[in-house]
Amino acid sequence: MDSQSEIQEKKRKTSTPLVRMIDIDKFFGKVVALKGVNFEVKENEILGLVGDNGAGKSTLIKILSGFHQADRGEIYFEGNKVHIHSPKYAKRLGIETVYQEQALAPHISISRNVFMGREPTKFLGFMNRRKMDHDSLDTISKLGLRIKDTEAAVEALSGGQRQGVAIARVLYFKAKLVILDEPTMALSVKESQQVMEFMKQLKSEGISVIFITHNIFHAYNAAERFFILSHGEGLADLKKKDTSIDHLIELITSGRRE
Amino acid sequence: MTQNSEKNESPVLKSEAKSAVGQGRAGFFQKFVRMRSLSVLIIFILLGIVFTIFSSGHRFISRENIEVFLAFGSEFNIIALAVGMLMISGEFDLSVGSILVFCSFVFLKLVDTGMHAMPALFLTLLTGTIIGMVHGMITVKARIPSFITTLGAMLFWRGLTLFWSEGLQKPLESSQFPIFNAVLTGSIGGIVPVQFVWFVGIALILGFIVHFHKFGNWIFTTGDNKLAAKAMGINTDRVKVACFSVLGFICSFVAVMQIARVGVFSSRAGDGWELKAIAASVVGGTALTGGVGSIAGVFWGALIISVIENGLVVLRLPYAWTFTIFGVVLVSSVLISLTIEKRRLLLGAERRR
Repeated sequence: MDSQSEIQEKKRKTSTPLVRMIDIDKFFGKVVALKGVNFEVKENEILGLVGDNGAGKSTLIKILSGFHQADRGEIYFEGNKVHIHSPKYAKRLGIETVYQEQALAPHISISRNVFMGREPTKFLGFMNRRKMDHDSLDTISKLGLRIKDTEAAVEALSGGQRQGVAIARVLYFKAKLVILDEPTMALSVKESQQVMEFMKQLKSEGISVIFITHNIFHAYNAAERFFILSHGEGLADLKKKDTSIDHLIELITSGRRE
Repeated sequence: MTQNSEKNESPVLKSEAKSAVGQGRAGFFQKFVRMRSLSVLIIFILLGIVFTIFSSGHRFISRENIEVFLAFGSEFNIIALAVGMLMISGEFDLSVGSILVFCSFVFLKLVDTGMHAMPALFLTLLTGTIIGMVHGMITVKARIPSFITTLGAMLFWRGLTLFWSEGLQKPLESSQFPIFNAVLTGSIGGIVPVQFVWFVGIALILGFIVHFHKFGNWIFTTGDNKLAAKAMGINTDRVKVACFSVLGFICSFVAVMQIARVGVFSSRAGDGWELKAIAASVVGGTALTGGVGSIAGVFWGALIISVIENGLVVLRLPYAWTFTIFGVVLVSSVLISLTIEKRRLLLGAERRR
């Protein structure tokens, strides 16, 4: 009996998506940014969110991370209806967004960046620097990133390593869903590859990832499922096995369902 | 006189601005901080040697001069520390001299009413803190660059003080407060002026806060990347207002310390200190753009600025030359420390490979 309810519980968990956004509308004045979008992210998956410029990718993500509110529609997180009214609330739910420009302070050490705003303290608010160094190094190496000295400034790191530090931060603070906004933009081929490895690491830690990108090749490489937006509407929701790079490009450029 | 000193000092500031920004991009924070304070220390020692050699009868290292230097210079140095902290958070303050003169007038008036020096000191500190807080609030809430806010404040507070004091010198009767005088103007064992002890003590406190307290980390991240700090839930406005308030507090403290030492209120107190304090911070490795710097660096930077002033007096140079030499030494000291740093950075980069 017990084991059966456990199995059912497991089933429920795997069948309930982590995030479900239903019938989302968003207007900016008279401009329709999103129209009737149905979007979901499953537990423990890497979802590629793709589409051309102005397709509504970032609007959708900003609604999910609390920067904007939808004008219509419902959002469910872990099966519960939520109203994500602020970025802070999104963080509390476990939704973390990594933006390229807004993630790190370049002249400050790696460990201080990882713990920025959430510094562990010893007494009277003085930082526990040993814990900061130890834990940040630990988390960074969990991502497969090789950095010896977490006291070095972020400035000394490559673009890919910087993304790694920003991702280590969300990993350490136990995010459930990580949104990566164009993480491979302006990175070399090798560094992009590295960032995609980070995503796989996050998945292996049980974290879901939304990977927003212009680069279909990157998306195809890293993601298991693709959600294509076009002119503010959901165009297609495809599993990797049901599609190909050419197919995805065809869909995005034509902007039409077949 | 105010105008004159500004004219002479502003070009110095500009050339430093450039070097500080360039150096900010090249640095590796932790090692950078340690190295910078070391290279600034070297310049300080070099200046000391030069002044010793060229002063007649080596008066520079006479006990009298060192006492004057430690007592007199420390007043300015203490303010430079707080200016450095504010600059790390990415803001400026041009009003330190004016806050100082206004607060020393407030203190004088309070003592004149027959109030004991201690409550008068407390009320003056409160005044300074509130002034700093108001500067900060105007800057962050109205989103005016602090350069403008505090430029206005500089004119406003000095103007107000001139109006109320009628530009006259006024004596302070403080001989009935022996403890007060001992704490602010005495000396330890008759050798080390107490002002210098305050300077070291305040440097240690600010240093611990800026480099080891979580609030210090917020100061750095606010100055370095405000958007990132905000995204991580740091209230960057509150961080900046706090830094402005600390600076206001420190200015009022030095105001009382200075008037207690001199015994006379002068409406020219703190004149020109705002640019000197920024110069001290920059010499000490603080970037004008924020996010880079150290209290140790500002400590030695402030000592450099005050040793130059002291040295030029000891060398008995005509007053007209003071500013010119001040400017030359200032720019070259930054250049030297930058050269030392670049060489070290290159060495470090090679070792990494």
